[in-house]
Amino acid sequence: MNTEYVVEMKGICKRFGGIHALRDVDLELRHGEIMGIVGDNGAGKSTLMKILSGAYLPDEGDIYVDGCQAHIRNPQDAFRLGIGMIYQDLALFNNLDVARNIFIGRECARGPLSLFLDKRRMYRQVEDLIRELRVDIRSPRLSVARMSGGQRQMVACARAIAFESKILIMDEPTAALGVTEASKLLGLIRSFRDRGLSILLITQRIPDILAIADRVFVLKGGQRQGVLDVSQVTLDDVVTLIVRGKDRNGVQAPSMEYRSFG
Amino acid sequence: MSRIDLSGLKKYTVMFALLALMGLFSLTSPYFLTWRNITNIINQNTYFIIVAVGLSFVMIGGGIDLSVGYQMSLVGVVTAKLMTVYGTPVWLAIVVGLLLGTLLGIINGLIVTRIRIFPLIATLATSMVFQGISYMISQSRTLRNYPEQFLVITKGKFLGIFLDVWLALLVVVVASVIYYTTVFGLRVMALGGNEEASRLSGINTRRLKVSLYAICGFVTAIATMVMISKANTTHSSFGPGTEFIALTAAIVGGISFMGGEGNMPALVAGVLLLGVLGNGMQLSYSLFTHWGVDPQYIQYVIRGLILLGAVAFDEYQRRARQGRHRTKG
Repeated sequence: MNTEYVVEMKGICKRFGGIHALRDVDLELRHGEIMGIVGDNGAGKSTLMKILSGAYLPDEGDIYVDGCQAHIRNPQDAFRLGIGMIYQDLALFNNLDVARNIFIGRECARGPLSLFLDKRRMYRQVEDLIRELRVDIRSPRLSVARMSGGQRQMVACARAIAFESKILIMDEPTAALGVTEASKLLGLIRSFRDRGLSILLITQRIPDILAIADRVFVLKGGQRQGVLDVSQVTLDDVVTLIVRGKDRNGVQAPSMEYRSFG
Repeated sequence: MSRIDLSGLKKYTVMFALLALMGLFSLTSPYFLTWRNITNIINQNTYFIIVAVGLSFVMIGGGIDLSVGYQMSLVGVVTAKLMTVYGTPVWLAIVVGLLLGTLLGIINGLIVTRIRIFPLIATLATSMVFQGISYMISQSRTLRNYPEQFLVITKGKFLGIFLDVWLALLVVVVASVIYYTTVFGLRVMALGGNEEASRLSGINTRRLKVSLYAICGFVTAIATMVMISKANTTHSSFGPGTEFIALTAAIVGGISFMGGEGNMPALVAGVLLLGVLGNGMQLSYSLFTHWGVDPQYIQYVIRGLILLGAVAFDEYQRRARQGRHRTKG
């Protein structure tokens, strides 16, 4: 396997009943790059990423992390491989505070059989993390239920990278954010790349991808349409591939004009 | 229209309600606020407190167990029959009873997680099964005359306080320690708060749920020992009905019907509130009969209304939180 890539997914297939969500999809993510994952609704973007994060099991196909075959059967397996995912609904716990949200499933423990929570260590580490990320969260003791959409997104980001993740998957992170908060988040994503993380970014906002991504991976109807180098394409090229895909001979359809709804 | 956030107040509401009710009954009956009556209320409610704590594990984890009363019926009959018919040593009968309670909890947990039946229906069904088995074992006979060592559970005293009160206190303290200081407790809160997010956080939610039903069964079996020791007799009809008081007390005590919330002091206050209600109404008998109402029956109406009110309050809180997220999202 090629160790140029931090993640390789080969021949991934996934069916939900009679529906083929993914058909023979290959994906390669390079070390330290931001790759945008785009496609229309139902293209299979989230399904593909949920397979990588262990939320779904593929019906067929192999996954390689750092050139070694990885068996990802559940989210815990993905954590162990350094894969963190921020889900579209953020998967936060409104009844818990920031620190507990970040550490849930990977708690700092102490005492016999590691039964007890090491709260002091958890709060200290989260305080450090908040300071390091320069995010607008006043205290790790704040209840997530009382936070704004942007702050909740930051908590989800902090959780995804808190445990030395090397691959970060983000599903529509800017979808529910205002312009200012989305802009801050894009800056944060860039800073993650600068820290050496490899990032897979699902979004419907193509300009976001063009602003921060290195490459863009296009899915249509559960099939890979192509991977474009962001520095060599226009918005119209990406939209055309999303809407029309490739023809039977693998040739990309002529460009069409992008009209923003925003 | 904006909703008022009463979540902070919720913790203390039941405490205030308990004090207010005690104040009210102290006015309607001169016998209510006496040392003897207050200790009597506490002694009579020890096993309700223990069952409510057991049920809290399942409820905070986002589930429900309507079979606890029927588990008590089955565990009580088996434990009593071992001691009174087969002459089994007391310690062994207790161990078998506790293991049986745990097993019944595991069965509930497996049905909920493996067959994926809604907990309300699953435990309603198993409650029938448990009661049927209880009657088959007891043959509808009353079992009585336990060995003296078994009666020590409720007749023995330590520092002048009955052992079952200490036992209830111990169960409450251990549950509090589990909820607030352990990894397990945090995961229970998380499971009740957002089950799918718990799964995505790497928690084995199925195993955790089964363990919660098992704990509930075990703690319910402890309560059964107290109940049958206190009565010094057992019948298959002993136990059913307890689930209603435990459930009402849990919800009145701030344990969310949706899971993820709850605290033990308020839960105890919830049980005592129902205990004070029954006791106070009995002591104020003349007042109620003056109005042409039998206090023995009207208390069921009031308990039902309290449950409805508590669930409505819980639902109001949940909607208030959802509304806040929609606004902030």
